[in-house]
Amino acid sequence: MSAVIETEALTKVYEGALKGQDVHALKGVSLTINRGEIFAYLGPNGSGKTTTIKLLLGLIFPTSGTLRILGKTDINSAAVKRNIGYLPEGAYYPEFLEGEEVLRFYGQLYGMGGRELERRISEVLDTVGLTHARRRLVRGYSKGMRQRIGLAQALLSDPQILILDEPTTGLDPIARKEIRDILVELRDRGKTLFVSSHELLEIELISNRVGILFEGELKTLGTIDELLTDRDVTVEIENTTTEKLAKFSEVGVAIEDSVDNRYLLRIPADTSVFKVLDMCRDMEIKLVSVRPRRETLEELFVRVVGAAGKVKENVQ
Amino acid sequence: MTNLLTYLRGPWAIAVYTWREGMRKKTLVGFLILSLLVIFGSNFVTAFLYESGGSEGPTSDVDTKLIKDICITAIAIFGILITIFISASVVPTEVENKVIYTVLSKPVRRFQYLFGKFVGVQLIVLLNLCLMGILFFFALYFKERVWPTLLLWSLLVTYFEFLIVSAFTFAVSCTASSSVLPTIAGLFIYITGYLCEYLKDTAERAGQTTQVLDALIGKIAYGLYFVLPNLKAFSRIEKQIVYAQPNDPVQAELIPQLILLSLVYCFAGYILAYWIFRRREL
Repeated sequence: MSAVIETEALTKVYEGALKGQDVHALKGVSLTINRGEIFAYLGPNGSGKTTTIKLLLGLIFPTSGTLRILGKTDINSAAVKRNIGYLPEGAYYPEFLEGEEVLRFYGQLYGMGGRELERRISEVLDTVGLTHARRRLVRGYSKGMRQRIGLAQALLSDPQILILDEPTTGLDPIARKEIRDILVELRDRGKTLFVSSHELLEIELISNRVGILFEGELKTLGTIDELLTDRDVTVEIENTTTEKLAKFSEVGVAIEDSVDNRYLLRIPADTSVFKVLDMCRDMEIKLVSVRPRRETLEELFVRVVGAAGKVKENVQ
Repeated sequence: MTNLLTYLRGPWAIAVYTWREGMRKKTLVGFLILSLLVIFGSNFVTAFLYESGGSEGPTSDVDTKLIKDICITAIAIFGILITIFISASVVPTEVENKVIYTVLSKPVRRFQYLFGKFVGVQLIVLLNLCLMGILFFFALYFKERVWPTLLLWSLLVTYFEFLIVSAFTFAVSCTASSSVLPTIAGLFIYITGYLCEYLKDTAERAGQTTQVLDALIGKIAYGLYFVLPNLKAFSRIEKQIVYAQPNDPVQAELIPQLILLSLVYCFAGYILAYWIFRRREL
């Protein structure tokens, strides 16, 4: 796989007015993002995600470290910018323009014009499903439609790289699913997607690799399969009593859920599944199912960020 | 040639967008409507003043002078307010609503972006000045029944006066994330430009003593007099053209010099804007 975005020890310090007020937004982040993957860039608010995106777009400048996009260090060159599509979080699109006028404006910024631009506008509107609203004023667009016109402007030059900041935040489930499908389709067409988001369920469904950032440091980096290992096992049981359930708690098994007289037990990775099954047999508890339980991205995120937070507290 | 057109397409798109968006700003529209009302009403004001005063009525010359006074003052006040307001707000507004992120993520260099924005501002200023000028033109025509063609020269000089203020206000706006500071700076630049001639007086008076401090003040004042734009020179020519008094003839030879001076200041303002903006973190 060829790398399209590479950062090496990327550091950004926002200088404060007084000594000691500097903000270390990014601390030596090294990343490699390969062609044709959806890379999820996660982290709590203020962790440095937007700073990284701004650095990738040349909107701010690194304090130290290197940044290479498509093998080039001059990220502001036309050759690089032509191959980057960017969807900012909560961007404003001029309300007095029609959908296609917005795209015409952005297309002209790429130096496009004439029939080529009109053809491309029709193509991207079709891709994002906005052909029916191309002549409608942006003022009348719903939140989902605005997000789609944002995605359309990012796609205008048919870029190799798409940088998306919170692409599905604030959208209803149907709009989220539609945007998600578009992103997967783009990945299947060979585009590289760098997605920053808080919608972890969405991200888990579509991304290939994940990086978790905490206070400017990259805490975790890997593929979804590497990071979300089958750690725990869940056992579903029926017809038990409180006393019997208490015995499970003694060996470290937690009750994750219960409906009527049916319980879902969670066996941690360090506890023997066979021991719990033996207990069920000995106490004559009806066993419904035994399933491996894969950690969710949300759980991984909470675990990584929580651990990083605790380390910070201990240091302080 | 094709390459140049492709290269200019981006800045031109930004300029047209700036113009279209700027003309929808409520404050600007408010200033424009007020100015047009004042200019349009100047004819009625003269009639009203003399009716309520109970006098016989003015002579045609006095009447015309009053219309000219009102219109020139309206164009000067509302024109400069529009110029300062729009020059101060176009960049900070785009930083605030994040449009600048999507624009600069495209193959548009920062100097191209600024160039587009600046041209857009000038389109707005020119359009507003033209609207005010046309109304002034007709106000005078209906009064004198003669086409006041010389007025076009006065409007041209007025535009180049505004261009200087616009360029430096625009430069200040490139440092700011809101339009308040650049607006104040714009007003300061305008007022300073009008007080510039006092610097010359200060320099001459300070030079009359032998004290070191006076001499120093004199040199600083003289230096500033040469560096700062003298907007009163523009105003003087504008009035000479509009009033066309035999005892104060139009110094026509000064017009090209003032235009050239304005262009030099405009270039300096744009370079300053780019110098500020090229490493600005957005």
